Order: sequence, then C-alpha cells, then structure tokens
Amino acid sequence: MKKKQRVTEEPAEMHPSDFSDDDAEEQHGEPVKAKRAKANKEEEEEEVVYHPVKLSRNDLYRPPTAEELHHLKEAESLFHCSLLKMQMEELLKEVVLSERRKQQIDSFVKTVTKLLETVPVSPEVEVSDLSWLSGAVKVPCLLVPKLTKGKFHMAPPASIDLIGSYPLGTCIKPNVKVDLAATIPADVLHPKDVLNQRYPRKRALYLAGLAQHLKSSSDIGTMRYSCLHGNRLQPVLLLTPPGNSSSFIVCVHVCPPPGFFKPSRFHPQRNNIRTEWYTGLQASRTESSEPPTPHYNSSVLGDLLPRAHLQFLSAIRAQCPAFSDGVALLKVWLHQRELDQGTGCFNGFLASMLLAYLLVTHRISNTMTAYQLLRNSLNFLASTDLTVSGISLAKDPDSTAPSLAEFHDAFQVVFVDPSGHLNMCADMTAFTYKQLQHEASVSMQFWDDPTVDGFHCLLMTPKPMIRTSDNVFQLCDLAKLQASCKKQNLLSELMDHSGNYVRTALPFLLSLLQQGLGQRIHLLTHSLSPEPEWSVESEAPKYKAQPPLSFGLLLNPELATSVLERGPPADSPKAAEFRRLWGSRAELRRFQDGAITEAVLWEGTSAYQKRLVPRQIVTHLLQLHADIPESCVRFIGTMVDDVITTGNEVPSTGEEESLVVVQSFDDLSRKLWKMENLPLSITAVQGAHPALRYTQVFPPEPVMLDYSFFDREKACKSLVPKEGTPCPHYITPITVICHMEGSGKWPHDRTAIRHIRAAFHISLAELLKKQHNYTCRPCPTHLDVWKEGLVFRIQVAYHREPQVLRESVNAEGLLVLRDNEEAQALEMATIHKPLLTSTLHGLQQQHPCFGAACRLAKRWLAAQLFSDDVTEDAADLLVASLFLQPAPFTPPSSPQVAFLRFLRLLAAFDWRNNPLVVNLNSQLTAAEYTEIKNDFMASRESLPVMFIATPKDKKLSLWTRRAPSVQMLQRVMLVAAESLKVLELQLMDGSQTQDVRVIMRPPLDAFDVLIHLNQKQVPLLRHAVDPPAVTFSRGLVTDGAGQAGGAMPVIDYNPVSLYLTELRDAFGDLALFFCDPYGGTVISVLWKPKAFVPAPFKTSQMAARSVEVAGEEVKTIPNIEAILEDFRVMGKGLVKSVEARTEKWTF
Amino acid sequence: MSFRLKRSHNMAPSKKKHATKEACVIPGGFTVLSLQFSSDSAARHFLYVKEHKVRAEKSSVRPLDRTLFVLNIPPYCSESVVKGLFSQFGSVASVELSDHPGSPQESGPKLSKVFRPADKQGFKVGYIVFESPSSIAAAKSHPHNDPLVVSTEQRPVKTGVQKWIQQYSKSFIRPDKLQLTVDSFMQDYDKRKEEEAERQRQEVEKQQEDEEGWVKVTRGHKGAKARPHSEAANKRTLQREKRKKSRKELMNFYTWQHRNTQKEHIAELRKKFEEDKQRIALMRAQRKFKPY
Repeated sequence: MKKKQRVTEEPAEMHPSDFSDDDAEEQHGEPVKAKRAKANKEEEEEEVVYHPVKLSRNDLYRPPTAEELHHLKEAESLFHCSLLKMQMEELLKEVVLSERRKQQIDSFVKTVTKLLETVPVSPEVEVSDLSWLSGAVKVPCLLVPKLTKGKFHMAPPASIDLIGSYPLGTCIKPNVKVDLAATIPADVLHPKDVLNQRYPRKRALYLAGLAQHLKSSSDIGTMRYSCLHGNRLQPVLLLTPPGNSSSFIVCVHVCPPPGFFKPSRFHPQRNNIRTEWYTGLQASRTESSEPPTPHYNSSVLGDLLPRAHLQFLSAIRAQCPAFSDGVALLKVWLHQRELDQGTGCFNGFLASMLLAYLLVTHRISNTMTAYQLLRNSLNFLASTDLTVSGISLAKDPDSTAPSLAEFHDAFQVVFVDPSGHLNMCADMTAFTYKQLQHEASVSMQFWDDPTVDGFHCLLMTPKPMIRTSDNVFQLCDLAKLQASCKKQNLLSELMDHSGNYVRTALPFLLSLLQQGLGQRIHLLTHSLSPEPEWSVESEAPKYKAQPPLSFGLLLNPELATSVLERGPPADSPKAAEFRRLWGSRAELRRFQDGAITEAVLWEGTSAYQKRLVPRQIVTHLLQLHADIPESCVRFIGTMVDDVITTGNEVPSTGEEESLVVVQSFDDLSRKLWKMENLPLSITAVQGAHPALRYTQVFPPEPVMLDYSFFDREKACKSLVPKEGTPCPHYITPITVICHMEGSGKWPHDRTAIRHIRAAFHISLAELLKKQHNYTCRPCPTHLDVWKEGLVFRIQVAYHREPQVLRESVNAEGLLVLRDNEEAQALEMATIHKPLLTSTLHGLQQQHPCFGAACRLAKRWLAAQLFSDDVTEDAADLLVASLFLQPAPFTPPSSPQVAFLRFLRLLAAFDWRNNPLVVNLNSQLTAAEYTEIKNDFMASRESLPVMFIATPKDKKLSLWTRRAPSVQMLQRVMLVAAESLKVLELQLMDGSQTQDVRVIMRPPLDAFDVLIHLNQKQVPLLRHAVDPPAVTFSRGLVTDGAGQAGGAMPVIDYNPVSLYLTELRDAFGDLALFFCDPYGGTVISVLWKPKAFVPAPFKTSQMAARSVEVAGEEVKTIPNIEAILEDFRVMGKGLVKSVEARTEKWTF
Repeated sequence: MSFRLKRSHNMAPSKKKHATKEACVIPGGFTVLSLQFSSDSAARHFLYVKEHKVRAEKSSVRPLDRTLFVLNIPPYCSESVVKGLFSQFGSVASVELSDHPGSPQESGPKLSKVFRPADKQGFKVGYIVFESPSSIAAAKSHPHNDPLVVSTEQRPVKTGVQKWIQQYSKSFIRPDKLQLTVDSFMQDYDKRKEEEAERQRQEVEKQQEDEEGWVKVTRGHKGAKARPHSEAANKRTLQREKRKKSRKELMNFYTWQHRNTQKEHIAELRKKFEEDKQRIALMRAQRKFKPY
C-alpha cells in the first residue's frame, strides 16, 4: 500500500487478489482502485471459493459403474492422487494451440506459400556478384572468406512443405514457431557445392532472394533473419502476419532437394572445408591430411533430412496416442529449465526423437499415458549418459554410415537419427547434457516424494540459471575469445565451426574450468547463446555482439570454500601436469603429515572471503590459459552479500562474529551448569536469540567501553546515557533461557512464581559475581550478565508456569484450562523459541550458508519495512524451508542464491491454498503432511494468512499468528516479486548502472507523513543500507577486546524503538508506523483510512480527537494538527523534522 | 482513502456561537478544555470534562460530588502532570489515569512497582478527585480558548530522549531492595496460603457434624478436602469410556460389515476425487496453470 504510485502504473504486475475480503480493500486505499479496475475486467469470472465438499449420501454410496471404478483405481495407483492427473490435464489445456490460432496459422502459411511460388526467375550470375539483390535486403551470412567459384540464380522453390513440430501436432505455447521448408531447385545447386561453404552461401543467397520477393508484399508483417541453432551457415527467415498481434512466427528454412548430396560425404571424419581456401594461405596438404569438419558436415546434412524426420515421427505418433501430449509435457519441463532454446540445446525436436527412441526400443509402450511418457523419458535421461554411450535410431544403417565410436570421436554427445548419418546432438556440449541429466535425476528424486508438490516443482517452477546455480560468472567481452582460440591453437576447430570463435572456445573453456574446480563443484553449466535475430535490412551481427556467456557453478559445500588445493607429491609424474594447470600459483608445500606436495593456496580468512575462492580460481585459470583478463570476468556469486558485511579489517558477513557469540554462550552455559548452592538445580540452559543460531542480521560484537562517555548510576554500578551526547552504542541483550528443576517448592500461583523467579535471578547474579566476577544486574523479569564485551539476558523458566497461567476456577468450582495470550507468550519465549534456536543451529551445521542467507533475507525485510510483519523467527523458518525442501532445486550453497529463492518463495507461494511445511529434522512423515494439509483446508479461514507448519506446531502456525495481515502479505508478495525482477536483471546484466542495493531502498512516496530522525540518536546508523559519511562517537574504545567486570553498560537502549513503541501505543488505531530497525533514519506513517471517517462521540474512543457539533449531533475526527505536534513532542531530541505530505491526503 | 482534514482546527466548532471568554459545552454535557504542550505550541488537544456520575458504582475512591471525569489526556501527561494542570481549579486530592473509562480495577494483593506489568503509553481517561466540590464547577466553566499548558518553566515535562534516559536510569533496582520485596511478598503469600489452608480445615471440621448429629461423608482422608474437579480430568474419563466401548465392538465379522467397509472405501475415493476436482477448479480460476 505504500507503493501506490508504482502499483497503479503496473497493474499488470498485480495478481488477482488471493484474499478478497472487503477489509483488504478498505485498508488498501489507492491500490484498491487498480485492483478494482482489474476486478472489473474479471467480473465475468465467477468468484470461486474453496468449500469443503458436501456430497449427498446418495451420491457417495450409489453403486459404481465399471468405468468409474476403473477411473478411480487408475487415479489411485498411477498418480499419487487424482489431483496430479487433473493438474497435468489442465496444464496441457493451457499450452496447446487453440483451433482459432491454428486457423490463423494455416491461412497465413497458405499466403506465404503462394507468394513463394511466384518468385521470379533471375539470370545466372557468379556467386560473388550481388548486384541482382536490391539494396533493401542483405544477405544473412558473414561472407568471409570470399567465394570464388560457382554460379547462382533465383528460381521458385521446387516444393514448399510444413516441417517440424506444427504438422506433427507437438507445437505448444509459448514461442509458437511454424517451420516451412522451401526446397532450392536442383539446377541452382551443384553436387560439389558441399565443399568450402558453397552450399551454405547459396542457401543464404536464396533466402535473401526469397526475402526480397516477400518484402514487396503487404500480406507479410515483419521480416527478420535468424539462424538455426545459432549456426550462421543456416540462416532462416522469420515472418509474422501483418498487424501487431504476432502470436506466432513462421520460419522459412531453405533445403536442398532430398537426396541431392550423398550422405556418405558427411562422415564426421571427412573434410569439406579446405584449409587453403579458408586461411587463404598456400599449404601443401593433401586431402587426407586435412582436419575433419564434423560440425560443418552435420549442419549441411541436417538440411537434407527434415522431411524424412517428419515422416518418421508421424509414423510414431500414429502408433502412440499419447505421443503429442508426452512431447508437450517434456517441452514444458525443458522450457522451465531453459534447456530448450539456444545453441546446442535439447529442443522440442530432440524431445520428440527421444520419445520415439524409447518407443522404438520398447522401453515405453504405446498405450502409456502422457504422464508415464514424461516419467520414463526423465528416468532414461537420468540413467543414460549420452556422452559416453550414445544411442541410435537407425534400424539397419547402410555400410557407409559411421559407427557410434566414430561419432563419439567427433562429438561430445551422440544421438543418431533414423538415417544413421546424422548426429542430432552435434552442437550440444557434454556439460549441457550433464545438466540435463542432473535435472532429470533431481526431478525423479522429488517426483516420488509424497511430501513435495510434484506437479508444481516439475512443470510450474522456472529454473533460471541465476536461481539454480550457487555461483554465476559471465564473460563480458566475447571478442577476447578469439585470443583464447589463438592461444590454444584451435584453428581447425575454428574452421569446422566456420569462424564461430565462441562455439569453438567454449568446450575448451569448460573443460579447463572443470579441471580447475574439480571437487569443489557438483556441476558446471553454461548459458546457451540465444539464436540471434536481425532485420533483413541489416548485416548479420558479429559473434561478439552476443549477450555475455554465463557459467553456473553448483557448489559442493564441503570443499568449495577450501583455501588449499593439494596436488600430487612433488616427485610424482602428475606434478608436472599440476604445475602446468596452475602456472605460477603452484608451489611446493610441506604438510603436517610430512608429505611434500604441490599445492595452491588461495587467499581467504573469513567465510565471506572463502566464498570467493571459486572466483580466484576462475579468473586465474582464464587469465593463464585463455588470455581472458580479470576485467572481462563478471563474478555474480557474492554481489548481494555486501549489504550485510561488517566493515572491520577483514570483510566478513557475520559468520565469525556469530561464532564468537556462540562460543561465549557455550562457556556461560557450562558455568551455569556447574553452579552450586542453588536451591533448585538447573535442568537446561538454552539460547533463545537469533545470534545463537547464526541468523542475527548484524551479530553482536564484543565491545569495550569508554567510561567517560557515560553518566553513572552509583547505587547499581551501571552506566547511563548522557544527555546531549549521541546515543551510545546499542548493546543487544542475548536471550538465554534457564530452566529450573520442577519441585513441590514452586508455588502454584502466578504472582508468586514471578517473585520466586526474581529471587533466582538475584541468587544467580550473586553466584556469577562471586565465582566468575561477571557484572550482573538482576531484574524481576531477567538477569543481565556482562561477559567478555557481550550481554547475556538470562531468564529463569519454570516448565509448569504456562499451565498455571491457563488454570482458573470457574463459578462451579471446576478447574478449567483456558488458553490466553499471557500463557502463549510465555510458552513462546521459554519453549518454542529455544527449540527453534537449537534446531536452526543444527541446520547451520549442515548448511554453512544458512545463516548468511537468513541474514540477507532479514536485511531485505527490514529495509523494505516489513520486519514487524514477517518476524525474525518466521523469516528464519522461510529460509530454512529453502534448505529442507529445495525441490526443484538443490539445497543452496551460496547466500545469494538462497536469497533469490527466498524472494521467489515470498512472491510466488500460494499462501491462500497451501500451508508451508518446514520439516525440521525431517520429523514429519508423509501421513503427517497430508494431515497438516487436510486440517489446513478444513479451517483455512480461521488460520493465519501465512501458514507455516513445523513438526512441533502442526495446526497453529505460532510464528505467524499475529502478523502479517492480509494486506501486508499482499504487499510483501508484490514487493518481493518486484525486487526479484530488478535484482535478477541487475545481476545478469552488467551494463546496469545502479548497484544491487536498489532493492533495499523502499519507495517512500506513498506515505502520508515522514518523520525524519536525528542521525545522532539512531544507534544502529552504521548498519543502514546507505551508511552516511558521518560517524558519531558512541562511547566505544576501539582497541583491545572486551573485558569482564567494571560497571554495567547501557543495554538495550534504542531511542528509535522506544519512540516507535510510544507512537504505536498512542496512535496505533489511527496510523501504521514503519521503520527500518537497522539504521533507518525515517519513520514512515500511513494513516488508516477508516480512522478519518467522522465517528459519533464515545467516551471510550476519544483519543486524539476533536469534535464537530451539528445541532444535537456530535461527531469526532482525529485532531491531525495536534497529532503532528505530538509526533514532535514525544520524540524531542530524536525527531529532526516531521514532513506532512498534505498534498497526498484526499479531502 | 478519504478523510477530511480541517486546516484551521485549533478551535472547536461550537465555539463560534459563544463569546470568547465562555466555556464551551457540547451536547452530552462535556465541557471542552483546550490543552497545549508548551506556551509556544501551535496545535492544541481538547480535553472533555464532566462531573463523574455513575449510578451503579459505589466506590470510595471516586466520590460522586468531587470527581471530575476527563477524556483524551495525551500520553505525556503523567498523574503528577495532570494534578498540576488541574490544581488551578482547586486543590486536587488524587488523580487516577486508565486506558478505558470504567470502574477501577480490582487488583489482587498489592504488588511492588517493579512487578507490575508496564502500562500502555497511550491517550488516557482520568478521574480527578478534588478536595472540594466547587472545583468541578470551576473546571467546567473554564473558558475554551484559554488553554491549559502542560510544560511550563515551573513544571517542565520531559519527553523524548530526556524522558527515555530518565526512564532508563529509573529502571534500575538494587538487588538487595529487590530481594526485600520478594521476601516480603513471599512471607505474605505463605501467610495467605496458611490462612487459606486453615480456613479450609475449619470448613471441613464444620462439616463434620451438624447440630442434629448428621455427618456429611466425603471421600478421602479425614481433614483433606477432595481435590477440585478439573475439566481435563472429566474429559479424560469420558474418553476412556468411549475407548472401552469401541474395543468391545467386533469389526468385519458380519458380511454386511465387510460390504460396508468396501462401500466406504469407494465413497472415500469419490469424495477425494470431488475434492480434487474442486481444488483444480479453484486453481484454474486463479490461473495457476499457466506455466510461464
């Protein structure tokens, strides 16, 4: 609601309200208008609300028909439940082409075909002569080196056919592309044209001729060139129908007549580009010594076969009724994983071919459903490694066809087509296939897990690289790859790829990085360069104009951050190889076990620096072996981390500080355990503070005080903040719960228990002082202990106290238990919080980046002013769910990727219909999941809007019971979606000028009043998102560690939070107050619209109101001027100015 | 978002009808007094005062003729500040501030200040008891445009940082004093417990034999009163009974029972199917099937 302005600008971004109460609308103010406008559009759509199903007895118990019985049984046995089956059916409905769309396509294809058939014949000229082309259309090909031999003329295509997915019926949304093949007449070509790119050049000229002809027609909308699989030798023409509603593209391919070239010419070991011609240098090579050109060969061969492939697939489809649906599902699966587009992708054609292979080899049967087809193909992909053992669709290949071994020599991934000559995966790198395999096996893992929403993870969740890979880096200046090719002497490969140095260098770079990163990573992936598109009037773009090449690393958390790379022993033969790989960084080191080995030592002391070790490796290797300077490598793994770094000598994101706190706590806990002479023994000492589970945004640091900075309170030996000086350093009290043994000595009365607790605090304080000389301050509610520069706040707890608080005796003398807020709050503080703290502490031990991820998430929440709505504990649980239930991803191994997924979770989770189950310690079984879900559905309306279930709390969602409200959750979702979008763009696009902190700066223009604070009195100022240049002395001595004893420091004194409490107490029913707790210097106030409706005079509701008398009727409205004055008065010394934006208030 | 804001709102509207030096009384019998924080404040709050008049209440702390009922006291006016403000109408005997109007809270045993839960710092209603009844009239006839001033040079009121620092230093309590408070409370508590026990014992003894020689027979040992029934215990007993009953029943013994379970199974599947169907319909309506 704060971002009104943006909201109204972008109504498309708003999802239709999941929670459609009236209350939500009233509270929402301005955005409601946007919503209403949207709602109007959708008014025809009926409002569907989930009600528990009520079937009449008759319906339920009528005798079943055989068909129904079969249906029910199938649903029960095949799918987890009928839900999944229905979900898939719904999904298919969403992606298939509608009849209307098909008609449009058919008529447009007819128009294009007619036009193409009327291409005029032109006189024969030399190929190098381009004069017949008018200047309006350029040739879609880089014409270097120059062609010398050959003649060319235009003539109408010999035939024009639909090929590819559209005639096969496997074409799905989005990116509807209809392939149309125009066959070059045989007399334009010469059988020898295979050689030296003559055929591809003629193909490009022919395409330009077609484009020139089509250009004059008004039936064609836009015309652009592109190229197939990113191969510049295979340009295609993209056509859209006139008008701007281009919901589909017709893609015109140019093919040679079937069987025009002999397939045996394209054996992967044959050479079809002569070095002499390519380099222009005279060389005395014979044909046999020329390097083979497998990629060039397969690109020409691919042009020969599309019709044959279509026939083959059509035959398969006729046999298997679920074939098209199966392909569609597989395509959706691939699309979500970004594997279906770009050079060397696993496209829809390969998906169809894969299914055909499985059908032909009888791995799946013709009667299977689409669901089973998808499942079996993923299973096959997960278990088969095409980089080692390729597969072939050729039933009985002729003798000239190459063997699988020959294919493996030439290509990284092998999947041979029905003809036996073409490797359909020629462009794919082994790493892309490995990624595919990894995705398939991850999918198979969670598919069977009944606790995961399989459908959603499998087909509905997009997995862009930035959110999938733990670390991502980009090569920005692709022209530098030319140098790499030169350095590695890749000339023949470059020739094979017709000068595409990016494609040529890529496999080499990948294997280099794999070698260097080795055990540190599970998987190395790379982005598939998108197929370029350019206008027919302009020249084909250069290779370096491609977007940067991105590499993704899936880290192995145990080894990824190790600073030592231990190599082979100095005398082993492998040592030379090691030294060659690492160059000057390799050195001989002697280890504690006496071994002397080669080793590389990377820099890094703090966890934050250690996370950068992969960057050091990558930049070092690229510089050393590929001549790519460090400035061209953009490392995206840790960009967001610096919002939580603390600026000491060693930059750190708080892991080390947290560890100090935890160690100090352990020490205190030991000392408490050993304590003697207590009337009752201690049964447990538990931490109950985020700092003790590594998730405190800015963990407390040990401090030393400058005593002269403070006033003193003599009687209690405590320091007191001085008036007129800046607010002292904020010292966080770290909550520790100390459970005392149950005993009959405990009174059975609430006030008496409170007093006994106070007595315990006093005696603990005395003992700690006497035995360990800690400065202590006992209070009725807690005991503060000043220990090594940290303050621990010990609270004694008695396990029966919540029970006592709940008990009351009713009028009939019956002892009744009634739940109440006080008891809940106490249970929360003494039972649930410590438990959560220890559980999450355990999680941190398993996943080293858990804590940092929580800190990032909470920093964002605080910066966007949500910290009062999504509480710390709830945020920690949300992040924990990303680690415990990562599907469809793997558990995050870098804070940044966890943070991105956290934003996505907030933005996309369907809170209305689903509980978020956080299976801490894996205590929940599948049955319990169902139980949670059913309970949730049964009483959805009465449950918190954000429902988080844990093993210890299956029904209530303790942590989100109070907040957020419907309105705030909506806003959180909206802002999260927006932040995610902006942040991913920032991260992936190096040309953005703003920094990543932009997502941490909330827009303030929607607020009604801004209270600007005096920076001097904001104690956490240095943690602000944009820390100010000025710093204030806050009573600390910088050198030396903390010390015990001395006077008690000023604890938990934060004027900002005190002020906020006062404001909320006084004006909570009139306005909402927001502030970033970490150094925010502005308190933003939003009036509640309801509060300004004139109300009748009531003695109980007169707070800050003035009256208006009209006759005998008295109305009251808030006394705004006085309220604004009160803002100033109540925050005297803290408030710099109150900015009332009256122009925003509607009268 | 629609509310009205009167820009020139430092005067109550009914004021216009009255002469400047007159009290402003609004329907309902409340007199409007204006109040400002300091003499140079621009904006004013309005207090609504009336004599305390309640039929049902018989309270000694709010004598009907001498108590003034005040609405809308700002958070920075503590009891002493209010006392100072109203002493211009006559000497004030006591001031009681509370969050809501209503009868005074019956608090249990008197608690030391440190053990009481913190008060909410919002706008309050006040009950001001004057020494003499005439002060009420004086207050009620106080002219509207002569504001009461909270913080003057004689009586400065601390707010903001000054107040918080003061609050912080006042939050200290010396351990020995705390110990004393605890001890005295616990002594008191033990004494009360003993008295209670004594009283119960006497009650039981009383029941031993009435004048006509009848003895009421109760369970348990002599002297100890039966424990109070608790709701939880009742529930437990009921459940135990139920379980016992269900254990006795035989399942799957007769053919009809078997048939019934099968029927139930199909019904269950059907129900699930219908539920799923509805869930899908709901999700479709919310467009949850668009994969991208």
